[in-house]
Amino acid sequence: MKHPARWIASAVAVVLVALAVVLASQIGSDPRKDATKSHLAGKDVPKFRVTTLDGEALTKADLAGKVTIVNFWNTWCIPCRQEAPALQEFYAKHADDPNFVMLGIVRDDTRAAVNRWVSSHGDEWTIAMDQGGSAALAFGTRGQPETFAISPDGLIVGYQFGPSSVSDLEALRAAAAGGTAQ
Amino acid sequence: MSGRRGWVPWILLGIVVAGLLVWAVWPSGETTDADRARALAHELRCPDCESLSAADSQTSSARAIRRDLKERVAEGQSDATIRRAYVDRYGESILLEPSRSGLGLLVWGLPLLVLLAGGIGLWFSFRRWRPTERLQATDDDEALVRETRSGEPTGE
Repeated sequence: MKHPARWIASAVAVVLVALAVVLASQIGSDPRKDATKSHLAGKDVPKFRVTTLDGEALTKADLAGKVTIVNFWNTWCIPCRQEAPALQEFYAKHADDPNFVMLGIVRDDTRAAVNRWVSSHGDEWTIAMDQGGSAALAFGTRGQPETFAISPDGLIVGYQFGPSSVSDLEALRAAAAGGTAQ
Repeated sequence: MSGRRGWVPWILLGIVVAGLLVWAVWPSGETTDADRARALAHELRCPDCESLSAADSQTSSARAIRRDLKERVAEGQSDATIRRAYVDRYGESILLEPSRSGLGLLVWGLPLLVLLAGGIGLWFSFRRWRPTERLQATDDDEALVRETRSGEPTGE
């Protein structure tokens, strides 16, 4: 090795060029993208246990055989409040379907606040408290509102990050009824 | 510094560095389940925070994660299994430290590579710094000194 410094400089240059290529290839990727999708899509509904406002326990088994929409929400989150009219309109259309279930799971809120909300807004779908946040954790949520579509055979087939519109909810329900991931 | 004696400082330096590394990495005591759960909580990002670990946040998600970690550790799940369960649920972004495979390997490997290149560079630089030999005075030099001291010219 006649000129070791040149060899070292060349090796460092090669490493820097390789690093530049790798970094350049990452410019187009959005690091937040990972945070706005559900990694549970296409997988079985996780085990969970929540308590309805009537005090009854509700688990994964209770959703078996039903087209299910699970909506994580709470009373103090502004996007949840913005989403509320869409949930009302959507549920009114499908409330009579015996094979359809809509479940609102409350994250990080008090039962008293939720009771006040439900009585003033007249929400008729099942609302349940997630004590300790274990259901939100099992579904891999990052906040609220987040909505999951579950097929009758217990697969998560659809997901909406942030507030859903009526058409979003219809698309989620259609995916759950068809059992196809969207 | 030449021959075998030239290697002595390098060997001593190697022993000191290896000793420090062992001291730094060696576990300081017995690890309890609570320690393991706490360490894992520091590795996981709080899902509804920007850049806080599940150990440092007080959101309901972070509290739920800490509780879940304690349960998983008590069940006897390994650290790798627990990390994998969280990555399956949230994706790689749940890990505060990059994974040690794929692109993440670059983040871990590059500093080591740079350190190695720096070490090799220093080694070559030190090799060049050979002590210069002592100059020997010639007869003419000694005559010149004598002439200067006596104040009288010695020749010509």
